[in-house]
Amino acid sequence: MLVVRRRQGESLVIGEDIEVVILEAGPNRVKLGIMAPREVLVFRKELELTRQQNRAAATADVLNVLGNLSVERHV
Amino acid sequence: MPERRGRSGVFPECPESEAGGSRSAQLRGECQTRYFAILGYSDESVIHVPGGLPGFENEREFLLIDRPSHRPLVFFQSLHTPHLCFLALPVLSVDGAYRLAMSPEDLAQLGLDTSRQPKVGGEVMCLAFIAAGGKRMLSANLLSPIVINLKTRVAVQAIQTGCHYSHRHPLLVEEPEADEPEPVCS
Repeated sequence: MLVVRRRQGESLVIGEDIEVVILEAGPNRVKLGIMAPREVLVFRKELELTRQQNRAAATADVLNVLGNLSVERHV
Repeated sequence: MPERRGRSGVFPECPESEAGGSRSAQLRGECQTRYFAILGYSDESVIHVPGGLPGFENEREFLLIDRPSHRPLVFFQSLHTPHLCFLALPVLSVDGAYRLAMSPEDLAQLGLDTSRQPKVGGEVMCLAFIAAGGKRMLSANLLSPIVINLKTRVAVQAIQTGCHYSHRHPLLVEEPEADEPEPVCS
């Protein structure tokens, strides 16, 4: 992983047309401004994790796993 | 086994009763479900998710199916896509100390007071989707629970802010059956 130290008001550039600006930096959080072409998707990682997990939850045969266990529990 | 068609198992109006919805409510239609054949439902039993769910943005209406034989598990069934049914657990049954940390935007979407967190079980129902991570492992998504306003039946998948709940909270891990060591050779 590339680690870069930046101060408030400074920025960094990714590729030719993406720029990330440090708008505010506090002790626990930072506020970023991102300039990128419209076709570049930018979203919080939590949203992507939620999307992946929803897909896994929709396709997994959870009931099968649970079914075996609930049968065991009811015996 | 195919199940007899009928009105069944949809709440939140009647969390204590297997037959859901109000008995006097007019049936709005029938829903083909993934696990329970065809269920009749009323307007009062439809959960509205205005923004859809991440990964399923076009799914905006669901039924909550509660069966005593599967409690505390509940089924979050898409109204329009029969094979889409999430299995979920109340977050408090996964983690009794769970604390909601909804963003003001999500609170506003549910029409709730944005200056405080809602009361789980009182104002809102809070469910964690379950996923299987293997044959014997299940996980609950505590990072982004489904929060349902019990008064309006509007719901949002509320990604928690400023907390460290996992999107794969281990729910159940069984030790593999290994009473005897495997023979080295046969």
